[in-house]
Amino acid sequence: MKRWALVLGLAAMAVPAFAAQKVKITFWHAFGGGRTAFIQRMVDDFNYTHPGIEVKAEYKGSYRDTLNAAILAARQGNPPHIVQIFEVGTQMALDSGIFVPVEDHVPAILRFQLDDYIKPVANYYRIKGKFNSIPWNSSNPILYYNKTIFKKAGLDPENPPKTFGEVVEACKKIEATKAAPKCITWPLHSWFVEQWVAEQGALLANNENGRAARATDVYIDSEAMKRIMKWWKGMYDKGYYAYTGKPEDWDGSNQIFVSQQAAMEITSTSDVTFMQNAAFENGFELGTGFLPIPDGVERNGTVVGGASLWLTKAHPKKEQEAALTFLLWFTNTENMVRWHKGTGYFPVLNTSVKVLDWQRWFTRNPAYKAAFDQLLQTKLNRATQGALIGPFPEIRTIIENAVQAIFQGKPIDQALKEADALADKALREYNASVGK
Amino acid sequence: MAYEPHAAYKSRWLPWLLLLPTLIILVVFLYWPTIDTFRLSLYRVAFLGLKKTFVGFANYREIFTNPEYRRIFWNTAIFSGAVVFFSMAVGLFLSVLVNQKIGGKRFYRLFLIWPYALSPAVAGVIFLFLFNPQAGIVNYFMDTLFKIRPDWLTQPVLAMSVLILAAVWKNVGYNVVFYVAGLQNLPGEVLEAALIDGASPWQRFWYVTFPLLAPMTLFLLVMNTIYAFFDAFPFVDLLTKGGPNGATNILIYNIYRDGFEFFKTGLAAAQSVILFIAVVLLTIVQLRWGERRTHLGG
Repeated sequence: MKRWALVLGLAAMAVPAFAAQKVKITFWHAFGGGRTAFIQRMVDDFNYTHPGIEVKAEYKGSYRDTLNAAILAARQGNPPHIVQIFEVGTQMALDSGIFVPVEDHVPAILRFQLDDYIKPVANYYRIKGKFNSIPWNSSNPILYYNKTIFKKAGLDPENPPKTFGEVVEACKKIEATKAAPKCITWPLHSWFVEQWVAEQGALLANNENGRAARATDVYIDSEAMKRIMKWWKGMYDKGYYAYTGKPEDWDGSNQIFVSQQAAMEITSTSDVTFMQNAAFENGFELGTGFLPIPDGVERNGTVVGGASLWLTKAHPKKEQEAALTFLLWFTNTENMVRWHKGTGYFPVLNTSVKVLDWQRWFTRNPAYKAAFDQLLQTKLNRATQGALIGPFPEIRTIIENAVQAIFQGKPIDQALKEADALADKALREYNASVGK
Repeated sequence: MAYEPHAAYKSRWLPWLLLLPTLIILVVFLYWPTIDTFRLSLYRVAFLGLKKTFVGFANYREIFTNPEYRRIFWNTAIFSGAVVFFSMAVGLFLSVLVNQKIGGKRFYRLFLIWPYALSPAVAGVIFLFLFNPQAGIVNYFMDTLFKIRPDWLTQPVLAMSVLILAAVWKNVGYNVVFYVAGLQNLPGEVLEAALIDGASPWQRFWYVTFPLLAPMTLFLLVMNTIYAFFDAFPFVDLLTKGGPNGATNILIYNIYRDGFEFFKTGLAAAQSVILFIAVVLLTIVQLRWGERRTHLGG
C-alpha cells in the first residue's frame, strides 16, 4: 500500500514536470466558423505527432483585427509566436519590425520547401528575393455562375462571359427573360478593383508597384481605373449589379447569389467548397469561370490574395525553432492538399499540385480547376505581382468610398481625382510616420 | 469638539482606505486612459506606437479644417439628434400607453423592454437581414405591396434612416423602463384634480404629466445623448461601415477606424478628446437648463 502511494506520488510529480518540458507556441489566425475547427484539427494532429511542442491556435477576428491585436501584443512585449497577416498588410508588417524574415531561419534541410512554391505565390511573397513570411492561404477572384438560370435565359451554360462586354450581353438576356431578379453581384470591395487593374497590366503605385523601392504615389485616376469604374457604374445604373449596400460584405453577396437572386457572382476562389455545398442545397447547378476583364485588353492575370504566416521576434531560440517547425509542417505538401480540399484555397506548393493531379482531383472537381488554371496562366510581371503600399487598408477604404460616390452620381474623373489625392496624402503621412 | 465631521469613523484614514479599491479602479481604467488620450492627441504616432512625434495641435487643425471631418461632425449631429428625439418620443408614447389600466399590460411592458436586452451586435445583424435589398424581408413586402425594392443601404438618406431606426428600436426599451417608473410615481391627486376640472386627456398630458416628468426627461436626455454618441458603433460597423461614401460615418466609428484600422492613433485620440468635451459641455448645458425647468414641475 505504502509503495503504491509512493509510486502515485512520484507519478503525480512527474506529470507536470514532463508537461513543463513542452515548448508552448501560440498561433493567431483570422478564420472563424468551420475553418476554426478545421485549423484546430490540423493543429491537434501536429501536437499529437510532435510530443515536445504544444501549439495553441486562436481565432482573433478579421484580418484587420488580427494584425491590430498582434501589434498591440508586441507593444506590450507578449506577442504570439505566429501571426497570420493578410497580403496587403505585408508592407506594414515589414515596417513594424516585430517579425523576423523567415527565410533566414529555415534550416538547410528544409529549404527545398521554399523553392517549391508555385510561381505566382512566390512572386507575391518574395520581396527583394526573400521570403519574409510563409505563404499560406492564397486565393483569386473568379466568376461563379448559376447554370440553371443560364439555361432558363437561353445562355450557353458551358460558356460564361469572359469580358465586361460579354457580362453586359448576358445581363441583357437575363433581364429580358426574367430568369433572375438581378444579373450579377460581388462585394463592393477594393480587392476586385486591384485585380482588374492588374489584369490590364497596369500598376497601382509608383516605383514598380512599390516593389523596386518604397511607393510614394498611388495611381487611382489612371486609365485602367476609369475603364473599370465606367463599366461598373453602367452595370449599377442599369440594375444589373446588386450588392447589399454595405462595403466589404462578402457574406451578403454570397447570400444574394446562393438564394438565386443573381445569376452570377464574382468572389474569392476560397469559397469554392462553400459554393458547391450551397448550390447542392439550393438545387442549382454551379459553374465557374475566369474573372471577366475589360474588353480589348490582354489578360495579364490576377494578383495572389489571401494571407501568409509571420514569425515574431523576441522569443527564446527554442520557441522560435519550435514555431518554425510547426510553420513548415503546417504548410507542407500533405497539409496543403488537405487545406485545399477543405476550403478551396490554392495548393501553393508544386508538389501538392502533383499529388492532386495524381488523384485526378481537378478532373473530378472542375469547379476547382477554373480557379487554379486562372492562377497558373497569370503572367509574371510587376502588375500581377501586386502592390506593396504601407497604408493599404486605408487606401482600400478610399477606393470603396470613391465607388460609392460614383454610384451616387459624382462624375468618374472627379471622384477618382479626389480619391487619388486622398490616397497620396495617406501614403505621405504613413511614410513620414515610419520615417521614410 | 461640538462638530465631528468624521463621526462615523474613528480614524481619518479608514474612509480613504475603504475608498481605495474604487479609486484605484477609477484611476487605472478611467482617469489614466483619459489623460493619456489627451497626451496622445498632441502626437503623430507611427502605426506601431513605437515612435511618437510631438506635433502640437496639428491633429486638431486637421480635424477642424478637413471637409471630411466636417461631414463626420454633421453626420454625428443628425444621427444623435434623431436618435435622442425619436427614442425618447416613442418611449414616452409607449410608456403612456402601457401605463393605462389594460389587460396584459405586464406582457406589453416585458415585450417593450426586450429589445434593450439584446446586444447591439445582435440587433445590428437583425437589421442587416431585414434590410438586405435582395433577400431581406422588408423588400419582400415592399415588392409585394408597392412593387418597389429600395436599395436601403446604398442611398445616403435611406442608409442613415435605417441606422437611426435600428438605434432607436434598440434603445426605446430603456426609455420605457424609466418613463413607466416615472409615470407610476406621479402624484395621483394632481391628475385627479385636473380630471375634475374638466381637462381633456390631451391637456392633462401636456399641462400636467409632461411637466411633472421633466426631471426624468432631463435624465434620459443625457443618457440617450451618451448612447447615441458612444453605443452606435456596432450598428454602423455591421450595417453600413460608414457608407455609402461616408454618409453614415459618425464620430465614434471614425475614431475606431482611424485608431484601429488605419493606425492613426494621434488623430483618433484628438477626436476622442473632442467627443469627450462635447459630452461634458452638453451635460453641463442640460443640467443648467434643467435646473430652471424642473422647478416648474417639482
